Amino acid sequence: MQLGDTKPNQDLLTSDAVVVELTNISKVFPGVVANRDVSLKVGRATIHALVGENGAGKSTLMKILYGLHQPDSGTIAINGVARQFKSPSEAIDAGIGMVHQHFMLADNLTVLENIILGLEPTKFGVLSLSDARARVRELATSIGVALDLDVPISELGVGQRQRVEILKVLFRGAEILILDEPTAVLVPQEVDELFVNLRRLVSKGTTILFISHKLDEVLTISDRITVIRQGSTVATVSPNTVDRLKLAEMMVGSDLPKPGERTTKIGATTRLAVRGLSVLEKGRKNPVRNVSFQIAEGEIVGIAGVEGNGQFELCGALLGLLSSEGTVEVGGKDVSNLSIRERLNAGLAYIPFDRHREGLMLTAPLWENALLGHEATLSRGPMIDFTAAKKACREIISRFGVLTQNELVPAFVLSGGNQQKLVVGRNLATARTVLIAAHPTRGIDVGAQAAIWEEIRRSRDSGMSVLLVSADLEEVLGLSDKILVMFDGEITAELDPKSASPQILGKYMTGAR
Amino acid sequence: MNRSKIFRIITYVLGPLAVISIVRLWTDQDALTSSNTVGTALRLTVPILLAGMAGLWAERCGVLNIGIEGMMILGTWFGAWGAWQFGPWVGLLFAVLGGMLGGFIHAIATVRFNIDQIISGVVINLLAFFGVRYLSDLVFVGQPGGGVSQSPPQTSAIPRFDLPILSGGQIGGWKSPDVLAWFETRKWFILGDIGGIGRGLTSNLSWATVIAVAIVPISAWVLWRTRIGLRLRASGESPVAAESLGVMVNRLRYGGLLVSGGLAGLAGGTLSIVASSYYRQGQTAGRGFIGLATMIFGNWRPSGVLGGAMLFGYAEGIKLVASDSIAALFLFIAAVSLIFFVVAIIRRLRVRSLFALGIFILSTIAYQTVSTVPESLTQSLPYVVTLIVLATANQRLRPPAMAGVPFRPGEPH
Repeated sequence: MQLGDTKPNQDLLTSDAVVVELTNISKVFPGVVANRDVSLKVGRATIHALVGENGAGKSTLMKILYGLHQPDSGTIAINGVARQFKSPSEAIDAGIGMVHQHFMLADNLTVLENIILGLEPTKFGVLSLSDARARVRELATSIGVALDLDVPISELGVGQRQRVEILKVLFRGAEILILDEPTAVLVPQEVDELFVNLRRLVSKGTTILFISHKLDEVLTISDRITVIRQGSTVATVSPNTVDRLKLAEMMVGSDLPKPGERTTKIGATTRLAVRGLSVLEKGRKNPVRNVSFQIAEGEIVGIAGVEGNGQFELCGALLGLLSSEGTVEVGGKDVSNLSIRERLNAGLAYIPFDRHREGLMLTAPLWENALLGHEATLSRGPMIDFTAAKKACREIISRFGVLTQNELVPAFVLSGGNQQKLVVGRNLATARTVLIAAHPTRGIDVGAQAAIWEEIRRSRDSGMSVLLVSADLEEVLGLSDKILVMFDGEITAELDPKSASPQILGKYMTGAR
Repeated sequence: MNRSKIFRIITYVLGPLAVISIVRLWTDQDALTSSNTVGTALRLTVPILLAGMAGLWAERCGVLNIGIEGMMILGTWFGAWGAWQFGPWVGLLFAVLGGMLGGFIHAIATVRFNIDQIISGVVINLLAFFGVRYLSDLVFVGQPGGGVSQSPPQTSAIPRFDLPILSGGQIGGWKSPDVLAWFETRKWFILGDIGGIGRGLTSNLSWATVIAVAIVPISAWVLWRTRIGLRLRASGESPVAAESLGVMVNRLRYGGLLVSGGLAGLAGGTLSIVASSYYRQGQTAGRGFIGLATMIFGNWRPSGVLGGAMLFGYAEGIKLVASDSIAALFLFIAAVSLIFFVVAIIRRLRVRSLFALGIFILSTIAYQTVSTVPESLTQSLPYVVTLIVLATANQRLRPPAMAGVPFRPGEPH
């Protein structure tokens, strides 16, 4: 079908009361048009999704609504009244709240302190903690959230932290809630819980603006979907009139590359052999217990599993980050007693779980980031070879299509997808033989995802063996030649991706089978 | 209060008390818990405690304050000048103002101009040291007893008092009995020690000491129970989050640093007004840095800072009052580490049991040889003792997450 056929379907909203109306919003940053004549109507007590690739302008649009940016032209109307927000506090006063993708929480302060900060109930400047606690608890129960209010944030998981952020916004009386990629950091069950909470909120009259590029979730939760591409709205549709593929095509603006059937054969030699691997941990059940598997040359083995079932520890043990029992052989060589550096030299490459924590030095320039792990080859004696290092970085940038001005900008300037491309590129650029890829496409847009998948396939075709750890079933099913399901520290099933469906996988992953 | 809590209090309070009592009776070193030692320890604790609290206030609002030593120097000088001119109370006020001047400079440099916090602190230390020497040259030189490195002596002091009933203080005109002294002179097991320690803490007290100790609960209350305290801590933990909720982070950092400077100044003032009666160059003797160490030891909490400062004060006090008792102190450390060792063995904590064993052996050796060691080495005793306690203390340090990180409001993060 042609994309031009999908007309903006604004009359979907005629029966609803319009809470937010953005008309012809434009915003130009130096060199970039972030929004071009964007118009959007959001109905009361609905979940309205904004989808689009990274850099499509959906976050900018929401930041304009939240008062973080001012539009160059166009108008904002809340409940039919034209408004101009010069700062977030003015937007907050108008009942708008935003939950940012990166949480804004103080780790060492308690849940309660984080929620009430800036709007503390006090008597003569002294905190009325019991009053605050009662109010927050009432708010939490009303949307079905159970939280211990007196523990520090650092003791909470990601899903609970997000709940704190939402409560924080609601505590300020928000009736319009903007969620910037709320599911990017959550595991499947947490997403389900979040959706239950969101539905409760909507039933109480809250309006939710939901930014995402996870199309399945958008289709599940939304009442309306607006697709944004290159700063302009492509269409506003109802979820029951579109499917995933059509949405993706609207986002990207062209047909997505379809992964072809693999044409190369899996080699005969075993590249990675793991036998009886256990990770021991004192005072807790061993996180990895007696895991054995093999990966042949040119083979992708997927480890599917809900996060926290030992995948992280398994990768740590393979790399030598964690001490373990059992044997690990890379290219026929026993590396069980070798150091991390020696294991890497034996052929291991690693795309880490969390690019911010383990993958990048965010404030360092790209070329230094690209240099990490390759210092030995990109140096002359004890001195770094700057020319060679920068050249190597430029090669990664061009080969993996990292969108950046040059190799000198710090890593935090890049979008998540481009950061990940750099991390992947760094590990695929060298002639390593076994790639451990942990959530290689988490939290990035479909375009970058397709590019990274393509690179992994290409490396596989050239003979690299890949251990793919992922919670994204589509990724595991689409890439793997063999799927192992990890549950509670053990490999509980070995499946053929051709015959396995997401439903079957899901049952194994939750231990139901 | 449930039974396990009572049990814990008994083990943590009476346990060490019993050990030190045994050591005292064994070695016949009554100075270990005499009221003289404890009283001296308390006086030595005060400046370190205030310096530690100064560090706590600064770091809680998100700014490292290496300049506490310099702010203390300002406190000693301005305090001595004020006390010499207008009497001790005004002197203390000037000490606070002098320290606040240092805190204000630090705030301008780090908050307003984003100068590196360490560099700014070091500069303040140097500036204070040479600045007060210059001021002394202007003001003190030529005065009777004054000079470029010393102020004229003050003529009056902050009044001192004994607590009634416990330590024989006056109520109205009536002299109450000195109960603790009665116990102390009996030298009974534990009871004698309680008498000595209690009397040390309640007799011949300076009002300045009372104020300094009161700052601990007041700080805790302000920081953890008031709106401004929560916002100040949030500025140190996550200024970005605080700013997004409308908190004026930089204004709070100015406030936090002024309090920090004021406390450091007061610490200096207690040195030049309470502990002595004149200003002398080098009077602070690194106590600002020791204060920072107690802040870390105290896990950035007021009660912890108090504990750390008391530890330093005690070790230093025993060194001053009764250097003969140093050997007994090492015996005490040996005994405690032996207990730690046994507990660690029972709990199968290998690393900690080895550590406790090592300290046991070291302190036993020290006990045997300390009397033959030159005095210059025993000078380092307070630091050795504190290091040992720091290393063996089982704690998870939790500093303010964003202390030391510059914050520029309104910029993308």
